[in-house]
Amino acid sequence: MSGPVRRRLREAAGTLRLTASSQKAVRQRNASAWLLPEDGARFDHRLIEHMRRFDDTEEVDLVVVGCGAGGATLTQRMAHAGWSVVCLEAGPFWDPDTHWVSDEAGSHHLYWTEPRVISGTDPVPMGSNNSGRGVGGSTVHFAGFVPRLHPSDFSTRSDDGVGADWPIRYEDLRPSYERIEQELPVAGQYWPWGDPHAYPHAPHPVGGNGEILLRGADALGLNARVGPVAITNGRFGNRPHCIYRGFCLQGCKVNAKASTLITHVPDALAHGAEIRTEAMAVAVETDPQGRRALGVRYLRNGREHLQRARTVAVAAYSIETPRLLLNSANRRFPDGLCNDHDQVGRHLMVQGAPQTAGRFAEEIRAYKAPPPEVSCEDFYETDPAADFKRGYAIQTVSPLPITWAEHVAAQGHWGHDLRRYMQDYVHWATLGALCELLPLPGNRVTLSGQKDRHGLPVADIAYSQCDNDRAVVRAARATMERLLRAAGATEVITIERYAHLVGGCRMAARPEDGVVDGDLRSFAVPNLLITDGSVLPTQGSANPALTIMALVDRAAERLVAGARGGPPERGRP
Amino acid sequence: MRGQRPPAGHRVPSGESGRRYPHFDVLDQVPDWDPATAATVVGRLARQPDLRFFTPAEEATAGALFDRLLAQDGPPGAPKVPVLQMVDARLAEAQTDGWRYADMPEDGDAWRTTLAALDEDAAEQHGAASFADLAPERQKELIRAVQDLHGKAWHGLPAQHVWSLWTRYACTAFYAHPWAWNEIGFPGPAYPRGYQRLGVGLREPFEAADADPVDPTGGRGTG
Ligand SMILES: Cc1cc2nc3c(=O)[nH]c(=O)nc-3n(C[C@H](O)[C@H](O)[C@H](O)COP(=O)(O)OP(=O)(O)OC[C@H]3O[C@@H](n4cnc5c(N)ncnc54)[C@H](O)[C@@H]3O)c2cc1C
Ligand code: SF4
Repeated sequence: MSGPVRRRLREAAGTLRLTASSQKAVRQRNASAWLLPEDGARFDHRLIEHMRRFDDTEEVDLVVVGCGAGGATLTQRMAHAGWSVVCLEAGPFWDPDTHWVSDEAGSHHLYWTEPRVISGTDPVPMGSNNSGRGVGGSTVHFAGFVPRLHPSDFSTRSDDGVGADWPIRYEDLRPSYERIEQELPVAGQYWPWGDPHAYPHAPHPVGGNGEILLRGADALGLNARVGPVAITNGRFGNRPHCIYRGFCLQGCKVNAKASTLITHVPDALAHGAEIRTEAMAVAVETDPQGRRALGVRYLRNGREHLQRARTVAVAAYSIETPRLLLNSANRRFPDGLCNDHDQVGRHLMVQGAPQTAGRFAEEIRAYKAPPPEVSCEDFYETDPAADFKRGYAIQTVSPLPITWAEHVAAQGHWGHDLRRYMQDYVHWATLGALCELLPLPGNRVTLSGQKDRHGLPVADIAYSQCDNDRAVVRAARATMERLLRAAGATEVITIERYAHLVGGCRMAARPEDGVVDGDLRSFAVPNLLITDGSVLPTQGSANPALTIMALVDRAAERLVAGARGGPPERGRP
Repeated sequence: MRGQRPPAGHRVPSGESGRRYPHFDVLDQVPDWDPATAATVVGRLARQPDLRFFTPAEEATAGALFDRLLAQDGPPGAPKVPVLQMVDARLAEAQTDGWRYADMPEDGDAWRTTLAALDEDAAEQHGAASFADLAPERQKELIRAVQDLHGKAWHGLPAQHVWSLWTRYACTAFYAHPWAWNEIGFPGPAYPRGYQRLGVGLREPFEAADADPVDPTGGRGTG
């Protein structure tokens, strides 16, 4: 048998094993999909009505701040393991039927829009482009692309001389990646990059935009794959099939796309967790010596409360987590909680995410089908011949009209020019790159002089690129232009953007280099964890949500094991 | 829901509108939308609330600025996407995008400051009492001058951040409106209906073909 044939057979066997395997183990671990209603409604309100409610004065096993990708995963895992858990969430409990709409402008309430200041030479706009609120957090409106990091991402300092090494390796995370991929569940073709693997659900059919990327890659002899997306494509509990309506970034009214609201919250509630919404955490409290976290102070209905807990986990994402720690300064930690080594807020990252659109004589109608359709990771790793380290991934993105107007306006068009250009909407296909920008100490969250309506200092987010960053963005743009032209585009336009915040409280092997260890426990306060995207030391060119959830799955497993066997050993497994 | 559709007003006159999808009207699909979405979108067709944020002087200047930025230059009384009212409502409710550039004030103040600056330019360069009193061509010149400054300062603010503020609010309002969707062939909300015919060149029965597929770039590069 020839090499390629053997490889194909191996891929087919791997896929068959996963897609045909029983869902019993998944259901035992996390029955969320089976706890959703069967009658066409999107959330079982009885779960909320019957939710266990704790008293503030009651010391619970765990209080979690934020119910997004990381927070909801931790809440579910620990409640499932029998811990008493309260999750404080600043936003509301969403009802997909009545709160979400199939409309761009009408989805503004899904985003975190409390004031923030952006600075630096390359400031990063926040809002819709960066973070969500409410139960499900940013996963409510995330696109749903869920690739893994590559093994090389865990040692870029040693191997490439840039970025940072992680305190854990890819292999430490693999079982967690597999578990979360089954729980979302992920649909896609066999994945040939990084650590090759199959997905539990088959790839979705593609729309016009996906077809263009496949066509371009084929013409250039590059690899492209359909997926990987957290969108059901087959039976999975009571999750319906995708209807290809294209509004994934506005919240999936169908329950086809994963958000932790439907993938982890139902099981957490069924196991006795309380998700306390409209509860804005304002500080983590510690004992006077700063040796233990005692609980979290929060505002609800205009009143301040303190939820006491034996363990505290902060999962408010890369801006609000550092902000909360900085706002929690006390006598022991005058510069902010866990900030002995001036690491809180530093090494904030976003991926460079230029989007290039191509004009086709045919009608593409990119608004049909989910925006996440097809990926190419041929340029992910460091290319010794290139003038930059690390690389980029290319994916489909499908701007709806308002976002598309942003593209057109960015070319300088306005007035009649804008209106004429916009009428050409259906002829354009759009690709987006995710460029690995390097973690830089000066890219950071600090407190600005401005206060929010609660009287708390708002975050100032400084971001500036380095030469390597600019070079990788330039290369990604050139590749997208080549792909589109190879697919038949007669014209290409590019808009510079950013995507995916991570970092700000990174994990490290030593307290001097980061805020938490590989188990997500803070170096400074042993019963305080950070369980969200802010812990990533590097970002690779992968969308981060799957990695965030996998890191939390692993941390939860170790927290449970530690609770049984006494305080867990710090550091490597 | 259909009763709420202004008669025959499914398009916004402009030198550029209506060539490509002359008979397409997304509002024909309202009965197929879910109630939450239909209420949101159809609400944009209803009479807009009275202005709450802009002062009368700002109202005049902002109205003229939006008309030029979006080429809403039909004759008086012609149907128009109520961009001024939509932006006013957002600013009155401080419904911002949740961030500001460090070198710009909060959005509401930024609007007030930049509208006053446009009036100052109109006074200095043309002796007019208001930007709104100028002929559209003169207004366009003043707008273009701000765009052309790029990173340089305009009345003490970085011109490119002013430009970003203006175009962001204007486009977000205009392209939220079903009349704008009619013009670009976008069928709007798609729940619970979804799409079945996916792929290059394929259309659902309710999607209209592009009747005049001219390349706006004329084959020239802009990128
Ligand atoms: C438009 C868009 C598209 C995206 N697409 C993708 C994609 O395709 N794939 C991917 O992997 N990722 C994507 N992402 C990114 C992804 O959604 C995030 O990286 C991920 O959800 C972050 O997880 P988290 O747990 O760190 O934070 P979040 O999921 O944001 O959760 C944080 C939660 O904390 C709450 N909170 C914050 N502060 C407080 C406080 N003080 N008190 C109480 N609660 C608080 C917030 O309300 C929020 O619910 C996208 C993001 C956006 C904006
Ligand atoms: S395209 Fe599919 S996954 Fe995306 S929002 Fe629509 S139904 Fe949900």
